[in-house]
Amino acid sequence: MQLSRTTWAIADWLERKIGERGILLAFMLPAIAIIVIAQFYPLIYSLWISFVDWTLTKSIEPGPFVGVANYSKMATDSVLLQTIGRTFVFAISSTAASVIIGFILAYFTVGERPAVRIARTILILPMVIAPVAVGTIWRMMLSARVGPINDMLRGIGVPAPDWLGDPRLAVLSIIIIDVWEWTPFVFVIFAAAISSLPSEVLRAAEVDGATPLQILFRIVLPMLAPVGLLVVMFRLLDALLTLDIVFTTTFGGPGFATHTLSFWIYQQGLRYFNISYAAAISWATMLGCLILVIGLLVWRARISRWQQA
Amino acid sequence: MSAMDHSTDTLLRRIPVVAIVLIGLFVTLAPFFILFGNSLRPADEFLSENATLWPSHLTFEYYASVFGANSATLKILFNSIIVTTLTTIVSVSTGCLVAYGLARLKLPFRLSTIIGLTFLVVRFYPKITIAIPYFVLMRDLGLRDTYAAVVIAHVSMTLPVVVWLMLSFFEEFPRQLEQSAMLDGCGVLRRFFSIVLPLTLPAIVTAGLLTAFFSWNEFLFASAVGPLNAKTLPVAISAFITDKGTSWGPMSAMGTIIVLPVVVLAVIAQRYLVRGLTAGAVKG
Repeated sequence: MQLSRTTWAIADWLERKIGERGILLAFMLPAIAIIVIAQFYPLIYSLWISFVDWTLTKSIEPGPFVGVANYSKMATDSVLLQTIGRTFVFAISSTAASVIIGFILAYFTVGERPAVRIARTILILPMVIAPVAVGTIWRMMLSARVGPINDMLRGIGVPAPDWLGDPRLAVLSIIIIDVWEWTPFVFVIFAAAISSLPSEVLRAAEVDGATPLQILFRIVLPMLAPVGLLVVMFRLLDALLTLDIVFTTTFGGPGFATHTLSFWIYQQGLRYFNISYAAAISWATMLGCLILVIGLLVWRARISRWQQA
Repeated sequence: MSAMDHSTDTLLRRIPVVAIVLIGLFVTLAPFFILFGNSLRPADEFLSENATLWPSHLTFEYYASVFGANSATLKILFNSIIVTTLTTIVSVSTGCLVAYGLARLKLPFRLSTIIGLTFLVVRFYPKITIAIPYFVLMRDLGLRDTYAAVVIAHVSMTLPVVVWLMLSFFEEFPRQLEQSAMLDGCGVLRRFFSIVLPLTLPAIVTAGLLTAFFSWNEFLFASAVGPLNAKTLPVAISAFITDKGTSWGPMSAMGTIIVLPVVVLAVIAQRYLVRGLTAGAVKG
């Protein structure tokens, strides 16, 4: 009590001293300082690094300015070029599968009955646990020897493949894992969006004799399109930048079979310490993501405008 | 059509729906079940060809070695708890402050909006871009491999979510409450700490949960700047892959230790969590 009275006395004194605006400005300083130091400074610094020659293993100080050499090096990096293609295939497949599955599950678990609520709680779980834990779990699930999936396949007489060790299957395995982890994100957004749809419209359609499929395709899906595009955007961004799963399941292998863009940047930067080259790939990736985001947002704005018209 | 026909009709239609949801639940839960089972499975059962899905004998040796004396994992668990706690406290408190400032302060040139958007930008670029410069920065500051390096990184990555969540709550906060307090002579500090904050507690819980989960789970920055002394659980578990011959049991035990607190909290606080996860996406 005594302490809190003293604290308030200090607070009141402070407020008389610097005024309400001063207090509010002071409120904003710590967070802005953290963002500037830990995000924007490194961001600008990495842009600068991408134009110099700097390999940490050779020197602890940055080397000379080399112009766009780090960027032009990307065109001749065959591992990178293959990685880009693979990352796109991975991101698009994972996004498509998770959006479809997530929507279906959300559409089928509308309502407030206890069983449905419990189902919704469970369906969210994969996205809240650590991505590295997801990788670890699925490394066991898909393990050629101790994995339960192969146990089951052997049980029904199907040949059990080496999911993570076979280069042809490894990418598919990573996609399955990513879909398992991130379908809940799609699910949780669509579940909220579906429950906020105007029920009068749906009931009116039902009264007018629309079949459930007609209601789904003519009313629900078009109304959800703007939210859907946001979901697709976030999923694509996250999938394009997948790192943790690869790190804990295949470590990019076998060979380069499951190298993703982020994994290659990680390898270049924090394993080989080619930090200026890693920075160049990062900035190129960022520009690519930016174009993608702008494109999808413009498209979304058009859909919203068309819906309101 | 009688009411009876109608209900059988919908019941028939519900069967595929229920089946699909049940499959979804099974696929979601089975991996958790396998992880937990393997954390209790004796080592020799991993080698046998016809092991059952749930271990036939249970062993607690992996957990015993985690919580035993001189356990390296215990230190790592301790690191994770410290990093997560500090990150949550710093991120939520500084985030609430800046959000309140942005919501109440009228700045020239629409600066409030610009600062708000600046926070949002952080969400939209690959974190790998700044992992390496951040590593160099921490090295130069002599903070490499300290809690501070990991915590500052985590705070800077969770601030955008906290700020935007709290901003929407502060903007919707009824102004009359604050105005009547102002007439009673309450300064902005008293209004914020004794009126606004207590009433926005649910939002703060949501922000805290999202922040704590992120920090507890984060791998990239923790591994870049906290490789040894400040090593957290996600960094430790990722190291199992480079070991020769995976030690499935200890790995599963560590996996369970990472996953279990999050799952329990997510189930208990599901309402708060869902609000945080969907904030912005549905309304915007």
